Amino acid sequence: MKRWLLLGFGLVITGIYLFPLYWMYVSALKSSEDLFAYPPRFLPHHIVWTVGHVFVQHEMATYLTNSLIIAGGVTLICIVLGTGCARVLARYRNRWVDVALFAILMMQVLPSSLMVTPLFVGFSEAGLLHTPRLAVILAQVAKVMPFYIVLTRANLGQIPVELEQAAMVDGASRIGAFFRIILPLARNGILVTGILVFLQSFGEYVYARSMISEDDLQTATVGLAAFLGPNTSDWNGLMTYSAIYVTPILIVFVLLQRRIVSGLTAGALK
Amino acid sequence: MRRPANRRRAEGPVMGRMMARFRDGGSFEVAMVALALAYLFVFATVPMLYTMLMSVQKIDMFTLGSLARPFVGLRNYAHVLAMPVAWRVATNTAIFVFLSVFFQLVIGLALAIYFRQSFPGAATLRGLFLAGWVMPALVVGAIWRWLLAGDFGVVNYLLNSLGLIKGHIFWISDPHVALYSLVIANVWLGIPFNMLLLSVGLAAIPEDVYEAAALDGAGPIQRFLFVTVPMMRATLGAVLSLSIIFTLQQYDLVAALTQGGPSNASNVAQYWSWQLSFETYDIAGGSVVAVLMILVVILVAILYVGSTRFEQQA
Repeated sequence: MKRWLLLGFGLVITGIYLFPLYWMYVSALKSSEDLFAYPPRFLPHHIVWTVGHVFVQHEMATYLTNSLIIAGGVTLICIVLGTGCARVLARYRNRWVDVALFAILMMQVLPSSLMVTPLFVGFSEAGLLHTPRLAVILAQVAKVMPFYIVLTRANLGQIPVELEQAAMVDGASRIGAFFRIILPLARNGILVTGILVFLQSFGEYVYARSMISEDDLQTATVGLAAFLGPNTSDWNGLMTYSAIYVTPILIVFVLLQRRIVSGLTAGALK
Repeated sequence: MRRPANRRRAEGPVMGRMMARFRDGGSFEVAMVALALAYLFVFATVPMLYTMLMSVQKIDMFTLGSLARPFVGLRNYAHVLAMPVAWRVATNTAIFVFLSVFFQLVIGLALAIYFRQSFPGAATLRGLFLAGWVMPALVVGAIWRWLLAGDFGVVNYLLNSLGLIKGHIFWISDPHVALYSLVIANVWLGIPFNMLLLSVGLAAIPEDVYEAAALDGAGPIQRFLFVTVPMMRATLGAVLSLSIIFTLQQYDLVAALTQGGPSNASNVAQYWSWQLSFETYDIAGGSVVAVLMILVVILVAILYVGSTRFEQQA
């Protein structure tokens, strides 16, 4: 009996916590009459479907494509550069590994909004602002790669060294053992961490806002920010835009919830 | 040349092992670490040093494209710190960080303890909280802006119907409360991560410690104070420092909710730095604020790394 009471109360607090998400979806479906009713209506009187309209009017296809390109590029570079590094750092324990880990952890804490000034000026001198999406990718990789390495390291640390050694006894090179033994075993861990990095970069805002000046190359966050002037009034549009933007993220999250939680708990405090 | 590697993990002096690994074809491994570190060096360390350089240079639109800029010593620092808003921003940042971290920790810990009890679906419900964490902060800010809207906002309605307030609070546009609307949204955003990390720490406390304490006659509150808190010390330290770091990084929420307004009432240092550089083109001023903030962040990070080291030894 007590267990069901605990579950009931647990559902209530989870519901309270997730209420903002519910409110976003409900507001996205409300007519303006419903939106500006006071007291607020917790269910819409009649559902108004403006998804297609908002999607077209705010050129979300272009913005979302740019966000996808940037998040995809960031994830790819992170996986290529970070995986090997994470495995090596997981495999050995000595002073050099400690130094490398310390350096990586330090890179993780630098806030984007404070790094954007030197990156902007540096990229401008290097001419990288002519390819602004690439500039954002390069900057964002530096932001999320430490996170990727730390989490992947926790995952890769679970693969026994003996497997790699056995492969080398059988004549595989170190490189061959890494690609043929370690990578296949680490696939799931890499995938989940890669998705987390992808989701973080899919919502990146400050680099895109500061480095991309062409509207065609802008990301979905910057498109969203266009709604957010001092006198915001198109709440239905804003919530519809938000809902279109985050629904795929939430679907991925719900599908992978268990793996994401275990991946994070494994590496979060290491 | 291939050689079977049958060495044990930890043996011999460090340098000797490094050399052995080179001979062993291990340069592949060194290269993999070096590549990632080199990337971070170029795109994180160098920009950080570059900010420090820029904070002591005179920068305007004409010298933006060249490295050789006139050196002005600490004049930029004096200029920024003498601005009337500087004090306001510093106080705001301190309030924003303190309140956010306090409530994230208290609520996160309460939830972690609650979901630690055994009941059906506990792990799933706890996992659902992370939905807040995977959402882009800018979107979270936009949603909170609508929840907190003055006239039609649902938060005002709920507070009124609970009898907690009378009338409407203009969360975003009232200079006395704008900063607290940032705190509310940031606490919401930070709860999942706090709860998750604290759950990990709680799970590491062996059950028999509690049983022994219960046998000795300790009630729930005593068990919390004398078993849970001391055994979680390292985790609490890590969570505290990570929360401070994440809160000091929070730019997106400010951009979505208040943009630092009305008239800097809710401006915080990380947003101000960006505003100086990209809205008023005072890049030297923006660099000054960035340098000061980065120093604070690094200090907190060193405490964090220290606390996790401590935990691994414990």
